[in-house]
Amino acid sequence: MRNIRTAFLVLVLCNLTSGATAQVLPSEPIIIGDGRAVIGGDVAASIAPIDTGYFNFSDYDHTTLREIRLGLTASVRATDHIAILGELRSENFERVTPFALYARIHPWRERRLDVQIGRIPPTFGAFTRNAYGHDNPLIGYPLAYQYLTSVRPDSAPANVDELLRMRGRGWRSSFGIGNRTPDRGLPLVTAFSWDTGIQVTTGWRAVDVTAAVTNGSASNPRVRDDNDGKQFATRVKVIPATGLVIGTSFARGQYANRQLIDAEPGTADRFVQHAYGIDLEYSRNHWIGRADAVLSQWDVPAVASPLLDVPLRALALRVEGRYTIFPGAYAAARAEHLAFNHVRGTSRVDEWEAPVSRLEVGGGYYLQRNVVARVSVQMNWRDGGRVRRLALPAAQLLFWF
Amino acid sequence: MRVTGPEWGLCSIAWLLAVAVGLSAQTQEAKPSATLRGRVEMPRSPVSIERRPGVSDLGTAPPRDAPDRRRAVVYLESAPRGAFEARDLQRARMDQRNETFLPYVLAVSVGTVVDFPNNDRTYHNVFSLSKAKRFDLGRYAQGRSQSVRFDTPGIVRVFCDIHSHMSAFILVFSHPYFATTESDGRYRIDNMPPGTYNVIAWYDGADRDMRTVTIPRTGAVELDFVVQ
Repeated sequence: MRNIRTAFLVLVLCNLTSGATAQVLPSEPIIIGDGRAVIGGDVAASIAPIDTGYFNFSDYDHTTLREIRLGLTASVRATDHIAILGELRSENFERVTPFALYARIHPWRERRLDVQIGRIPPTFGAFTRNAYGHDNPLIGYPLAYQYLTSVRPDSAPANVDELLRMRGRGWRSSFGIGNRTPDRGLPLVTAFSWDTGIQVTTGWRAVDVTAAVTNGSASNPRVRDDNDGKQFATRVKVIPATGLVIGTSFARGQYANRQLIDAEPGTADRFVQHAYGIDLEYSRNHWIGRADAVLSQWDVPAVASPLLDVPLRALALRVEGRYTIFPGAYAAARAEHLAFNHVRGTSRVDEWEAPVSRLEVGGGYYLQRNVVARVSVQMNWRDGGRVRRLALPAAQLLFWF
Repeated sequence: MRVTGPEWGLCSIAWLLAVAVGLSAQTQEAKPSATLRGRVEMPRSPVSIERRPGVSDLGTAPPRDAPDRRRAVVYLESAPRGAFEARDLQRARMDQRNETFLPYVLAVSVGTVVDFPNNDRTYHNVFSLSKAKRFDLGRYAQGRSQSVRFDTPGIVRVFCDIHSHMSAFILVFSHPYFATTESDGRYRIDNMPPGTYNVIAWYDGADRDMRTVTIPRTGAVELDFVVQ
């Protein structure tokens, strides 16, 4: 059924855009009340073969390569200093979720200071705020922001052997403590939901500094605080020269939910995630290059032997580039690797999760200024799990206004 | 009567001079001197072009200029013979300043080279996917400029690949009978050749008003338009 819906949407969009440069579809946002309210939107329809290795799943039911995503964004200028911003998203015509809803306060017109309160954009990293729409040059998401590890917010391994049994099964892991029902694990930093709290951004010349206090963690953002712990996140962005952006990020927060904390009383402040990130973007002429490194560390209390006596660390490295071949057409490539630290079990010492490498190569053609047809081929390698190698061709049609 | 060599030469020169003077007078007589002028009535406050909602931004976007969209272009639908002769290379300029293209509407003749200097501290990436001219100038910094030569008549929609709210129009004509209005809607096209023409007022991509007018040999003709 999902495939039929996708094919239908692709056909509709293709038909609407068959005039190539005719600008059949609207390209400007909807403006109400002399610019007081502005509404924008995105539609992305992606098709690909079945991902039997669950390399691209954002949860057990959804893969980022086979979905229709609808997004509606809006900003309402309440006063000269206060704006309300929000975004609604829906995947595969299922339920509509409020992805973002917050107030942006800009106290002084001449000063670079903003306070955002509500369900706010992620402070950590650069990709999390660019994930949707045309900022992503390829169809797939970077591993650091999408690939599901076996770490769960509601369940924890009692010992190392239990942890090692879940290698390569982050899309449906289960452990002995807390919720024993198999369910999805956590990515290093999620691009699929935003956290709730307060965020302050200021800047001076080429430097921007952001700090936030929120309810969840980088891998598990929350609308409501269910673990009595707050996340602190900060980001410093420097633009030393036009076209060069260097960013560093840090986040520390409790990732376990109430169910897991209740299962192991007194451990609330021991299920902590630390995340460190550095990102780089350089663009010039027809080139854009990006690179980032994300190090995540989940602390898991040791319960039974063989004891889990080290934090679970994961390091994601990414480099990607985009080149405009001729007006309206570009090529892009992304290479990534996800590595994990070793833990000592009863019979073996191994990485606690199966390392993953991914290479995605593709390109896009603009049917009109705001309609892009993309194709890509993604190669995945994993040192563990049921499927260890998988090549996935994919196609996507993306429209925004 | 025999005509000697020197006499033949003098006669030839005299004849050539006479032909030249005659032709010159004829040319002066044929040079068009009529003027088409008038006013295009445009919407008083056109809908502004806004940024897309910056929901994923960490703060308020810096202020930018609003483009002056109260400009229309008045032009002849088709021009008389002789209007398509090759002209000298012309240059025009479309600035990028405070995240706005200046001017918002630029009308040029075929063969004109348009410069796109970047006057902002951020990158811009000027591009167009229009049939009349497809180009992509890539990203370049403040103080630098790139140029595009427009060789095909038509309407070229210009965008910035980085700032989606930046857009402009370049209208490319194969004849010289066009004019961009002032902000009050006034326009003036000089040296119009006599004849009956369809005249079009173009406004902001979608709105046009066409009128038929007869241009005399001399004098001025008033022609007003209304676009919504």
